[in-house]
Amino acid sequence: MNKKLTPRYVIISLVLLWAVYSLWPTVQLQTLSEAELETMREEGNYGALESKAIKQGLDLKGGMYIVLEVDLPALISNLALNRDEKLNRVLEDVTEKMDQPEADFFVLLTQAITDHKLRLPRYYHEYGSNIDEIITNLKAQADDAINRVLEILRNRVDQFGVSEPTIQKQGAHRIIVELAGIQDPERARALLQSTALLEFFLVKDAEVTNDLLTRIDKILKGSESLEDLAEDTEPADSITVNEETAKETPVSDDKTISVSELFGETEADITDSAVVDQRLFEDRPFSALLRNFGTDIGIPEKNVYAVKKIINMPEVQERLNAGNGQLLQSNDSEQITNIDGQQENIFRLYYLEKEPELTGGVIEEANERLGSQVGGQPVVLLDMNNDGTKQWSRITGANIGRRIAIVLDKKVHMAPSIREKISQGGTQIEGFADINEAKDIAIVLRAGALPAPVNILEERIVGPSLGADSVKKGTWSVLVGLALVLLFMLFYYKIAGLIADFALIWNILLVLAVLASLQATLTLPGIAALILTVGMSIDANVIIFERIREELRKGKSPKAAIDGGYDRALTTIIDANLTTVIAALVLYQFGTGPIRGFATVLFWGIVISMFTAIFVTRTIFNTLAQRKGIQRLSI
Amino acid sequence: MRLIKETHIKFMDQRRFAFVLSAVVILAGIGSLVFQGGPKLSIDFKGGTMIAVTFNEEVDITQVRTSLSLVNVEGQTFDLSKEEIKSFGDPSNISIRISHQEDEPDNFAQSVINHIYKTFPELVPPEPKDFILIIEKVGPKIGSELRGKAIMAVISALALILLYISIRFEFRFALGAIAALVHDIVVTVGIFSILGYEISLSIIAAFLTIVGYSLNDTIVIFDRIRENVKKRQRESYAETVDHSINESLSRTVITSLTSFLVVLILWLFGGEVIHGFAFAMIIGVVVGTYSSIYVASPIVVQLHASTPTK
Repeated sequence: MNKKLTPRYVIISLVLLWAVYSLWPTVQLQTLSEAELETMREEGNYGALESKAIKQGLDLKGGMYIVLEVDLPALISNLALNRDEKLNRVLEDVTEKMDQPEADFFVLLTQAITDHKLRLPRYYHEYGSNIDEIITNLKAQADDAINRVLEILRNRVDQFGVSEPTIQKQGAHRIIVELAGIQDPERARALLQSTALLEFFLVKDAEVTNDLLTRIDKILKGSESLEDLAEDTEPADSITVNEETAKETPVSDDKTISVSELFGETEADITDSAVVDQRLFEDRPFSALLRNFGTDIGIPEKNVYAVKKIINMPEVQERLNAGNGQLLQSNDSEQITNIDGQQENIFRLYYLEKEPELTGGVIEEANERLGSQVGGQPVVLLDMNNDGTKQWSRITGANIGRRIAIVLDKKVHMAPSIREKISQGGTQIEGFADINEAKDIAIVLRAGALPAPVNILEERIVGPSLGADSVKKGTWSVLVGLALVLLFMLFYYKIAGLIADFALIWNILLVLAVLASLQATLTLPGIAALILTVGMSIDANVIIFERIREELRKGKSPKAAIDGGYDRALTTIIDANLTTVIAALVLYQFGTGPIRGFATVLFWGIVISMFTAIFVTRTIFNTLAQRKGIQRLSI
Repeated sequence: MRLIKETHIKFMDQRRFAFVLSAVVILAGIGSLVFQGGPKLSIDFKGGTMIAVTFNEEVDITQVRTSLSLVNVEGQTFDLSKEEIKSFGDPSNISIRISHQEDEPDNFAQSVINHIYKTFPELVPPEPKDFILIIEKVGPKIGSELRGKAIMAVISALALILLYISIRFEFRFALGAIAALVHDIVVTVGIFSILGYEISLSIIAAFLTIVGYSLNDTIVIFDRIRENVKKRQRESYAETVDHSINESLSRTVITSLTSFLVVLILWLFGGEVIHGFAFAMIIGVVVGTYSSIYVASPIVVQLHASTPTK
């Protein structure tokens, strides 16, 4: 071997060694059997191995990507002292404008405060005496809130048990959560989004409740806003009339209120039961949507949305505020068979005091159990701290005989009667669909309540079967594409093609090695980029080979042709490839997740292809050309 | 072996014909865009919900559509029968794209999936988790943010490339190259519009890759022109350009061929998720090769003719 070439071979060998070393964990992870992997997990070596292997993106592994935003209007509203209509209007105004891209909450808030001439210190005198001071302090509160949300979510996800979750802040008020291999997205979503606000409210007397229903009926009958309600519920044909009565009462254009007027044209053919009695409805529009359900009020599932709409009407809200109460619904429905022998899902509706007696802040420990009763219903056992125990004892002692509702995230889980004073500071929550739900609720209660609700802005879920399918198809495409290009090069350029093929395989190995050592994530678009690399990186070799052929045609010796070809091709290759590098960098900058995966592979694919084409293949060519007696190149 | 022997094609003489061809394709695309009120954007850019589910066997889309005419989410009803429902790769998979609904509940996508799962009990996998292929939900705010980012990405990529070529070559080369890139993107967007394919995030990634690829091709030819202008002083500029294209033709054909092969394979075997991307790349490889020869180079010739040389 020529002395001049030795350092080149040293470099090439070192790079090759490094590539094998970097890729080794990935190879191990792919080839070890499930049993061997299990042993590694037990010995605690698995994590180290996994962290050195190429990571698969959520689109390949299956999983969930969620962007959450802390509900700042709700947070600011919670911090206010004398909350009133005027403040609510300002916050609603801001909430609407938050839909614009890149909208900044505090800029909009300051704007809205000026527009509405709101006297901020009235609500936030704890946070300062003038607008600037208060806004600054509220900003600090918001920053603090998002950090607490971040911490609480991490805590919840840790306890839920997901391998390698990613939970990070994006911008000022957003959180990105990535959970791989999630089997039940519904459960994971609930775990993340639950505010975990636990409250205990006293239930109002039956008499007071009935009075309220009558008053709401009256409000609805006399209300001009019934027309609005009809507009709002136009697409919802939820309230379906008994077919017979519907025929009896043709749609009229006079002022009497009919169902069709209220909720739009009803479709008789989708009616499977008469939910509302027409005559009762005309007389008592709200009560007609409800049912007697034991000692409670029931809402048939089909009426839930209409009831919610009515409760949220400003007149009804005013009435509720005046009575110092609120109407909340049960967290889950119960299935019953009604008089017509049909299955029906019924939710319960409770009229509760407005202010809670106790909140979840006093909870020290929460654990899920299967209850001791028949059927082993899942329950969550709560232990309170000293302060909570004292208060709980006082509340239960003072309200024997009354009912107390246990409310989680504004949904009533149960409302038992207080039989005796409870002095040991423990209680339990019932009303879970299964033990998993009880387990998740225990987790969120242990991790604590979020300072403000969070909204899901973006959500992307890939099922595990699709991920596996993508891996299979992606790998297959790479192999077929590679094989075709390798064969073509060999066929077209003979020995030189073989050298280019060698460089190409090497190129792919190096890209994968770089991905492994950078701990970059391989996504499906990343695999696509790998395939593109196969097609495009061969270009550098093609440019060189065509140049060498030209030089040979001019009658130069093999050695001179190689030198001339490489020298002339060099600037072309760099100029041509750098533009794709620019595109890759821009993509990396603007993209997230899968697109970044694409940009990463594209970038390294091109950079490495320049190295292999210019450095590696040239070394091989030179070696060949220096052998004595070489008369012609096989190119 | 030589695929392309020494050629002497008068490319610049064909440039009028090429301009007409490009103009026809571009006008057809723009016509389609105007007719449809802009490109068809995926939920990435306009917000909404996309779900894909898998059945045990082939499923009748009409039946799914009928079942979606009344979806009840806790008393709130939705008529989704007008939304876009089509098969997803395989006839047993379907995808549903739902535009943003008024008053949309948080668990909307999941509720729609549960509704379909319950409606076709004989056709679905026993475990609900095996039923879901994809759920994507993009809020309107994120949608418009992504739209802004995508436009910024394309513009900044073009600006950076213009800058790079202006530094490395003369400015008229940069103009020629950018014209070719804009040509490629407009043609691809037009073809997407004509075929009714939607533009998603991954299609934007494909556009930028096309930009990189097409440019790669253009620069190889420009490089030859730059080299030949010094050597061939006696020829006319158009002849030099023709000569340069002919010299690099063999390389152009081979590289385009290998690139075309791999994206074709990706399109055929890569699966539904990557299908649109692969298709954009197929168009891109073909149009990118064409535009280097018939758009970028003629514009350089044209600009050379209109600027006085020393």
